[in-house]
Amino acid sequence: MALTDARIPAGCDTVAKLFRHTAAARGERAALMHKDYGVWQATTWRGYAEQARHTGLGLAALGLRPREVAAILAETIPEWLFTDMGIMGAGAVSVGLYPTSSREQVEYIVNDSGARFLFVEDEEQLDKVLERRERMPRLERVVVYDMTGLKRFSDPQVMSYDELLALGRAAAERAPGAWDALVDATRPEDRAILVYTSGTTGPPKGAVLSHANLVFAIDRWGEMAPTHDGDDTLAFLPLCHMAERMMTAMRPLAYGGVVHFAESPETVLENLREVSPTVFFAVPRIWEKLHSLVTMTLQDATPLQRALYNRASAVAHAVADRRMAGKPVPFGLRALYALAELAILRNTKRLLGLSRARLIGSGAAPISQDIMRWYVALGIPIFEIYGQTECSGIATFYRPEEFALGTVGKPLSGTEVRISAEQEIVIRGPHVFQGYLNKPERTAEAIRDGWLHTGDVGAFTPEGRLKIVDRKSDIIITSGGKNITPSEIENKLKFSPYVTDAIVIGDRRNYLTALVMIDQENVTKYAQTNRIPFTDYASLTRAPAIKDLVWAEVEKVNKQLANVERIRKVHLLDILLTAEDEEMTPTLKLRRKFVNEKYKKEIEAMYGG
Amino acid sequence: MALLELRNVEAYYGPIAALKGVTLDVNEGAIVAVLGANGAGKTTLLKTISGALDPEAGTIRFAGAEIQKRAAWDVAAAGIAHVPEGREVFRHLSVADNLKMGGFLRRDAGGIAADLERIFGYFPALRARVREMAGNLSGGEQQMVAIGRALMARPRLILLDEPSLGLSPLLVQEIYRIIGRVKADSGVAMLLVEQNAKMALDVADSGYVLEGGHIVLAGSAERLRSNEDVKEFYLGIRDAGVRGVRRWKRRKQWR
Repeated sequence: MALTDARIPAGCDTVAKLFRHTAAARGERAALMHKDYGVWQATTWRGYAEQARHTGLGLAALGLRPREVAAILAETIPEWLFTDMGIMGAGAVSVGLYPTSSREQVEYIVNDSGARFLFVEDEEQLDKVLERRERMPRLERVVVYDMTGLKRFSDPQVMSYDELLALGRAAAERAPGAWDALVDATRPEDRAILVYTSGTTGPPKGAVLSHANLVFAIDRWGEMAPTHDGDDTLAFLPLCHMAERMMTAMRPLAYGGVVHFAESPETVLENLREVSPTVFFAVPRIWEKLHSLVTMTLQDATPLQRALYNRASAVAHAVADRRMAGKPVPFGLRALYALAELAILRNTKRLLGLSRARLIGSGAAPISQDIMRWYVALGIPIFEIYGQTECSGIATFYRPEEFALGTVGKPLSGTEVRISAEQEIVIRGPHVFQGYLNKPERTAEAIRDGWLHTGDVGAFTPEGRLKIVDRKSDIIITSGGKNITPSEIENKLKFSPYVTDAIVIGDRRNYLTALVMIDQENVTKYAQTNRIPFTDYASLTRAPAIKDLVWAEVEKVNKQLANVERIRKVHLLDILLTAEDEEMTPTLKLRRKFVNEKYKKEIEAMYGG
Repeated sequence: MALLELRNVEAYYGPIAALKGVTLDVNEGAIVAVLGANGAGKTTLLKTISGALDPEAGTIRFAGAEIQKRAAWDVAAAGIAHVPEGREVFRHLSVADNLKMGGFLRRDAGGIAADLERIFGYFPALRARVREMAGNLSGGEQQMVAIGRALMARPRLILLDEPSLGLSPLLVQEIYRIIGRVKADSGVAMLLVEQNAKMALDVADSGYVLEGGHIVLAGSAERLRSNEDVKEFYLGIRDAGVRGVRRWKRRKQWR
């Protein structure tokens, strides 16, 4: 596949070659920033390349051959990227595991991928491996990044990352041309990475992406979200997730910029404020959280502050509505908007850590259009991306200035998106994956007649923009025969600061109900302000006044819905689910199938069962 | 109706919130344990109940009456005795006078004498040292004096703040044995704040876990004992794993 564009330098037809080129060109510029003991530390492109080289050569010295597999089990930390680029540079295949994976999941992916080497973050992750190593016969070596607590631990199968780097350094000194030879030997058609996607049925599937897939996708990032060396980004999602992998590992290889690593998944909002990125990509959960942060902050504000905010917000929404409709904004309104920006909007953006934001993306799950509208009104250049792992993470997008809310925009250039006879979205292009590892029948289901079948139902607008209806398998058909798209209703519910997530139920039933996960922080605050007694989380969800609060939020949503779409009953989940629970995705969305299964009894109770 | 009922109690030290809305119940004659790490708000909780500290918001009901605005002596008169952290005995008074101070609101001389006997029954070590200055006693004996002093008020509820603090393991067992006996004999209710979770849960009927001024877990002592987070963070029970040692801690979930 020839790239017609100049975004990818000549000769860089694999991720490894592109990385080598970019690192050499950018040299002493900062590539990565992470915090050590509370202080930001920079890694230059030269340092990044050196760590990757030593990792790759170390692995080669231990016997990793091209086209073999090495795996990474760690949070989003710089070492993840060093290793990723090291593995790919050595011509091998890199596979990421979610740091929240259970021992069983680790075992499954290590075995399924055939990984010979596994990098783990620390003692905790190491224990997952050691407890199961008898069942992972092909796993040869475990490399540990952080040896804290393991100083006196010794095991022939385990080594520290520093030891591996030393091996690589020695190899580089012995044979200075070895690394370049390995990188030169990488071919576009070779497998580059394996991305495991958890199927709603059956075990996770390893999607195979080639160098050509990734290089094409990196190239197209430039038309979607042109970023450059002046940009600051924040990385916080697990790097084995395709969205973060593209944003943080791949995108900088063509466009530069500085990646900042959030300290932990819990400190994302603080780090966001601190870094104030110019380009930021996040999942709907984060955008909902930031929105409710403002809503809740307002509740604590003085009446004057609240009135000012509401006035500013009204002006901003009026301006946004005109812009989105493509109408001119009259001078008077523009003047008011300038005032609103000065008095309120600017500070709101600062509170959120979005005051410097230039390009803000949402993706990986559907988002409420009310939330999108709110960001547009704030003057934040937000856009939506649609894609899935099987098409290298991106299929369609719109640019912020298009204000194409309610759609996910147009296909990447050089790719095709169509609606099949069954209303399913199908995709064709150089970004479509090679298939699922060891699962030819699943591959055959996904790629039919050369088209990737996404499993999403959608339609095109007259302007040629794609609208997503829902996952094909999630569409509810009520016993009355009505088709209902639950995600739309769920997103409306999530607009409430008191609702973190919801699952709408009603397939083959007489009416719709919902399972709701409350926002612990905001609901606790509400309970405290209104003197609603509770002890722990479970008792909070059982408090009648809290049930009433959530029901009032549901009623607000019901007012916007047609009669058949209305939620008749809700049940509040009484445990706070985390990414470590199987009911939740690593991007913190409830998994419909798992939740429906786990809360069968509660669901039946809502239907009088 | 419980003997003691806290509803959404908030307490502050200046701008710092120490209790961020605590709701809990102590039933008549029950021992209720409150577990929590340093700075969780345990001592503040007891001080707020006994009137040493006024809550910023919320209600505290004792035997049906709201007491959150009452002065400490008034709360004591209502039937709540506070055994503070670090005993706080009157160091320069004799053991006998310390104990009598506990009954200073009482007018029944005969009853006081009988109760003194009862307390010496619980703590035979104190009888031998009754004329001694309390400050000269060992830590364990001082703890006995402090508990005895509380009992002298014939309270319906005793607030016990870390009775095991600074005591040898043997003495801790002794103190807890007596706490169990006192409960069985007199039916006095106790709200017991402890870092020694094992001792506390062994003697308690129910319990709460306090973290950062919030209750994160509530339930019977049995439920708390079998909770994974309580096991790991308060009871120090963890499976050592294949390496035989484990330094990392699981993430708390409180469920």
